[in-house]
Amino acid sequence: MQCDWPLLGPLQWMRYVNKQVKVKAGKDEERRGWLLTVDPVSASLVLVDFKEDGGASVQVVMGHAVEEVEVLQEADEETTQRLQSSFLPAKTRRLDPEDLRKRRAGVRSWLEKNRIPVEEEGDELRVAGVLTITPPYGPEDCCSSNQIILDRIQKLIQSVFQIQPDHTETDPDCPSTMEV
Amino acid sequence: MATPVSVLRLPKGPDPNSRGFDPKSPRFIALCRTSIATSASSETNAEQLPIEQHARSVLRETFLRCLLSMTNKKVQFLMHERVKVEATFGASDIDVLNFQVSDLHTPIGVQKEALIRCQDVISFTCDS
Repeated sequence: MQCDWPLLGPLQWMRYVNKQVKVKAGKDEERRGWLLTVDPVSASLVLVDFKEDGGASVQVVMGHAVEEVEVLQEADEETTQRLQSSFLPAKTRRLDPEDLRKRRAGVRSWLEKNRIPVEEEGDELRVAGVLTITPPYGPEDCCSSNQIILDRIQKLIQSVFQIQPDHTETDPDCPSTMEV
Repeated sequence: MATPVSVLRLPKGPDPNSRGFDPKSPRFIALCRTSIATSASSETNAEQLPIEQHARSVLRETFLRCLLSMTNKKVQFLMHERVKVEATFGASDIDVLNFQVSDLHTPIGVQKEALIRCQDVISFTCDS
């Protein structure tokens, strides 16, 4: 007996997020928890239960098994904060503009040394017209729809931060003649 | 119950690409379920669409991060008929149709590697 939960859609599912819900699934089994998210592909609910020792237990209820979802209460500010921060990546610390500029120039010259076309577009670096690097220009900050190029550039940038942590800035207008 | 079990090869489900296979048959629908349609209602107007897409991507990203945080952790799967099994979570496929797990503890022993069909799972729990 399938209920309509999987058919609600993202906008309706969003209304249940960050609320404490009671879910009926399987043979008369009920579970409660704070709804962290609903997977749009499978309509699965992710419930979080905070334990006394500060840890959390995560329960995923598969969308096809859901019979009923009932909202019990809204999350207060503290719980919402806790929910949001449990799984999202840590926010990168803010670098001051001068540091960012140096980093950007360093990454750019490294890519140019490796014969990769790169242009500066405001704060971002545009690589070969298909990949964008946003501040702070680490491997995690590369965006592209081309997986092969993404992989290559990520590996290249990773070596910038490992091999040359104090990479001295080279003037982008005067390519360095340093032998690598 | 740490007896390792040799690999069990269960009969494969229907191959959706083979000829003469009826996509409307119950077996196909049960085993080759397609994922949920990208747009919930056909009356969604053009203004709603970007908002809906944004909501969809936020929900999906959080879900993927949850799955990521569960990798290599012990999870308990609750299946039909109140069957509970424990395993170490590996990965999910893109349509959330199968889970790859290691060290699946079953009543007949421990399966070193296994694929669990999501249709068989009601819920699973992980402690972090």
